[in-house]
Amino acid sequence: MKGLTGYRAYRAHARAAALSALAYRGSFLLALGGVAFQLIALLAVWRVLLGNGDAGSIGGFDWPHMRSYLLVAFATGALVGGFVDFRMSHRIRSGLVSLDLVKPVDYQRARLWECIGGVWIEAVVIVAVAGLAVLFTGPPQLPAAPEFGLFAVSMVALVPLKFVVSYLTTLACFWTENFVGVLWARQALTGLLSGALVPLAFFPGWLATAAQWSPFAGLTSTPALIFIGQATGRHALLLVAAQLGWLTLLWFAARALFDRALRRLTVHGG
Amino acid sequence: MTTLRLLRLYIRLLGAHMRSLLEYENDFWIMMAGTVLMQVVNVAFLAAIFAKVPAINGWSFWAVVAMFAMVAIAEGVGSLFFEGMWNLAWQINQADLDYMLVRPYPIVLQVSSMQIGINGLSNIVTGGIMLGAALTHIDAHWTPARVVLGIVVLLSAIVIKVAINLATNAASFWMQSPSPLFAFAVHQAGDLARFPLSVYPLALKATLGFALPFAFVSFFPVSYILGHGSAWVGLLTPLVAVYCVAVAAWVFKRGLRRYESSGS
Repeated sequence: MKGLTGYRAYRAHARAAALSALAYRGSFLLALGGVAFQLIALLAVWRVLLGNGDAGSIGGFDWPHMRSYLLVAFATGALVGGFVDFRMSHRIRSGLVSLDLVKPVDYQRARLWECIGGVWIEAVVIVAVAGLAVLFTGPPQLPAAPEFGLFAVSMVALVPLKFVVSYLTTLACFWTENFVGVLWARQALTGLLSGALVPLAFFPGWLATAAQWSPFAGLTSTPALIFIGQATGRHALLLVAAQLGWLTLLWFAARALFDRALRRLTVHGG
Repeated sequence: MTTLRLLRLYIRLLGAHMRSLLEYENDFWIMMAGTVLMQVVNVAFLAAIFAKVPAINGWSFWAVVAMFAMVAIAEGVGSLFFEGMWNLAWQINQADLDYMLVRPYPIVLQVSSMQIGINGLSNIVTGGIMLGAALTHIDAHWTPARVVLGIVVLLSAIVIKVAINLATNAASFWMQSPSPLFAFAVHQAGDLARFPLSVYPLALKATLGFALPFAFVSFFPVSYILGHGSAWVGLLTPLVAVYCVAVAAWVFKRGLRRYESSGS
């Protein structure tokens, strides 16, 4: 399945996922609600702490920078929501996954394309929320052209990276019935180590360094730091390179894990 | 039916679910680990902020930990003892409520005991530890009266959270959706109350203080116990709890009258 026909099959997955997201728009938007309320709470807290711009800075962040950081954190949190992993976990636990396996498409790539199908709807929501936030708190400063390019690359790389982190954890459903526990553990860890809750610079030095070069930094910290201009030049380039490196590594790790997981699969029925 | 008998049956209903949950022991531990990790991350997040700042609007690290703890405990009680409420939308949509209408036990209790959210257990335990640690780190002036009032206020806070769950889930009688989207959205908004109310703009203060009184789940009770801020408002918590329960019961009753079964 090479060439155009193969690509068309994956595009169909994306389209189906987008349609399903639109059909169940209530649950889809709700998945973004948690991130949106988190944005409101964090904006409110930091506005008080940073005194609306006249209280100097904390941990190297002043109010305009923190505000932009939180907006990017919201965008990265809203992209690639839980839509695909819930469906996938359900299909693995119920055995419906066997129907996915007999399709002449690559399982992992098909799931990625389903993610991509939802991304454009998430992007619309992000633009709307970011617009509102800018309306209430003022426009952000944009980074210089080269950094803006890196920011764009980082945001694009974020989609498959976030997908593969979800995908890897969802594969746990081959071993356990309890997906929610796994999901919460993942959300907790990625929330903290990606810098989505608080910039990594606020952690003790060892943890900040470890988190910065972990696969999780690429989920929020890397694009956010580049956007606000805290990571520039070589440093920014290195961060994006690490992000892409982790993406490649995890992509193939997921393939290896999937092969092992399939051996655990038992599907009943005649 | 006496209250005692109601309670005994309720415990037995929950117990049946508990036994079936414990059949999957590994899943149980994964759930525990997942929820404990969430609270650990919450505390780590607060510690990271408070490493750089002494207070948020005058509220110390331990005060905010206590607010987070109250939300965790209230949510935990909601999950462990009343998780079935979240199933109400599905029961209405599928007309499964029919079975409950013919059983000699209060319908609302049948609904709420239909499920058990074992994550509630770890939330109560971790929340309790967080609250305990917070209380040992704040120098409140304890008198017997304050201890009693404090306990009443904290229990009322939990009742408020459960009542809001019931009222918002009972809204499913009017919405035809099989999942409780509205209730879940409100539940998510409740997370705002983990931070001191004073950081929010007026509209949000009014929402969390009056319309959806989540501030009485965490902020006001904690401010009473700390004797900080407008502590007296915390004493209103029991009244707010009575009000919330009354509204929730009324909404549920009105909703039940609208219930149409499957229509076939």
